[in-house]
Amino acid sequence: MQTVYLKELHIANFKNYVQSKITFGEKLNLTVGHNGAGKTNLLDAIYYLCFCKSYFSSNELQNIRHEQNYFRLDGIFEMLQTKQTENIVAKIATHRKKSIIRNDIPYKRLSEHIGLLPLVFVAPDDMQLIKGSSEGRRKLIDGTLSQLDQSYLDALISYNKVIQQRNSLLKQFHERRTFNATLLETYNQQLVPLGTQIHENRIAQTALLLPLLQEYYERISSGKERVNCRYKSVLKQQSFADLLQSNLYQDRSAQRTTEGIHRDDWVFEINGYPLKKYGSQGQQKSFLIALKLAIYQLIRQHKNILPILLLDDIFDKLDELRTTQLIETVMGEHFGQIFISDTQLERMRQIFDNFEVNPKIFKIEDGVVEWLNG
Amino acid sequence: MNFPSKLIEDAVNEFTKLPGIGKKTALRLVLHLLKEETKTVEMFGETVIRMRQDIQFCQKCHNVSDHPVCSICLDLSRDASILCVVENMRDVIAIENTHQYKGLYHVLGGVISPIDGIGPDNLHVDSLVDRVKKDEVKEIIMALNPTMEGDTTIFYISKRLRDQSVRITSIARGIAFGGELEYVDELTLARSIATRLPYENYLMNH
Ligand SMILES: [Zn+2]
Repeated sequence: MQTVYLKELHIANFKNYVQSKITFGEKLNLTVGHNGAGKTNLLDAIYYLCFCKSYFSSNELQNIRHEQNYFRLDGIFEMLQTKQTENIVAKIATHRKKSIIRNDIPYKRLSEHIGLLPLVFVAPDDMQLIKGSSEGRRKLIDGTLSQLDQSYLDALISYNKVIQQRNSLLKQFHERRTFNATLLETYNQQLVPLGTQIHENRIAQTALLLPLLQEYYERISSGKERVNCRYKSVLKQQSFADLLQSNLYQDRSAQRTTEGIHRDDWVFEINGYPLKKYGSQGQQKSFLIALKLAIYQLIRQHKNILPILLLDDIFDKLDELRTTQLIETVMGEHFGQIFISDTQLERMRQIFDNFEVNPKIFKIEDGVVEWLNG
Repeated sequence: MNFPSKLIEDAVNEFTKLPGIGKKTALRLVLHLLKEETKTVEMFGETVIRMRQDIQFCQKCHNVSDHPVCSICLDLSRDASILCVVENMRDVIAIENTHQYKGLYHVLGGVISPIDGIGPDNLHVDSLVDRVKKDEVKEIIMALNPTMEGDTTIFYISKRLRDQSVRITSIARGIAFGGELEYVDELTLARSIATRLPYENYLMNH
């Protein structure tokens, strides 16, 4: 088993950071600061280097510090056991092509980078995964499966391209009052193997994820309720080829591909009822954290690497017992480098006083990072 | 940029319409032409005008040509039973440079991409089907770039030719991976045409 960890990070002009160079600990890093100080932005910078994008904003201009025209992130990651390093640099400037560089060589396709440095992010905004639309849940599962398997990401990118072309074609049929059955069939035949591959992958990985989710939920909530995560897909009832065939008129009148794996969803349940409706806020929060930890373990088992874990501001809304259970869990041998952010230094100190760890503590104020226990 | 002369400004603006030419480069080119003899520049302009006005597209293969039928299609030493299907003229040049291919071409003029407003009707697909029917074509080699749009086009054409007894092959996908046909070196391109695969295999390996 390998452990990947971020050793050094150099930030310039990213969000509210001017210039910062930080050396992290290989196990536990705590960042403390009040809201808006830049705790989340620091974690987002780490996320960026692993996924070539911000966790929060897809508009790169919003990631550049106010009145600046570029940002730069430079991280040195190390494999704890082999000491092998990966130097990842992200350079984003206005009017320039985004550039991600691995050990001095720029990537031609950013998707090649996904999965090299596995990472799981738990953010307060994530409650939307439970409360919001299916899109967020698909993004979460797709982001996970893409880290496990490059061919999944490739299939997903191709699938989305074919869907876009097919939708444009359906729109043109409508606007120009034409129809070309052969061309539509061409797109269907390209979609079927891609969609089927993605569907089968989702079934297989959801099945592996479920017991992990139940185990972590039990641990964090001390085993009172039973949770479930059910994969919902139209392809469970019908083959994709048949589906596209029978949806022909529906798709033509809607001028888009109405059904397919791009509409899949995952249903979260507690004691057999929808978590969204029947779960308390504490239960929802526990579920969310358990789900993320389950994803962490899925990646670990698959890749034989302990990913980086980012826990952003998660102690609010968790009672003391759940907090202790969570920390006990992530301090165990099944987890690698961890970043935890919170607003209160004293609360953090108290929580970690009970553990035999030596966290590196950073104080963050206005985008400036100060190492407290150096 | 401010110019002391409207004539120069107009010329600069025309040059910046060309691909890869920015304002600075355009100005450099204009200043260069200004230093040349009037006769030389007239010749330059006339050549460009003549090129545009007199150029024709071959009635058979749609490649650019100085005559109604191009020199490749007229060359009787070439094997008229094999057609190589390409996107544009640049691909013809790239394949001709290998000196290995002795069949004829069919230039589609693009690939199918509804997002860009390009459907089969905007390309020379119908005339390809006609050629296969009339000209006793035994094999067509698909030499399109390995993009999703290239794949769609190959897929679509082979469906249109389903009832014809023509052999459909494709150049190996690996060769042009990530790049365009015109950037592949000649040796690799020549080899990939020589070792082309039946289209069904292409699909399976894909
Ligand atoms: Zn010709």
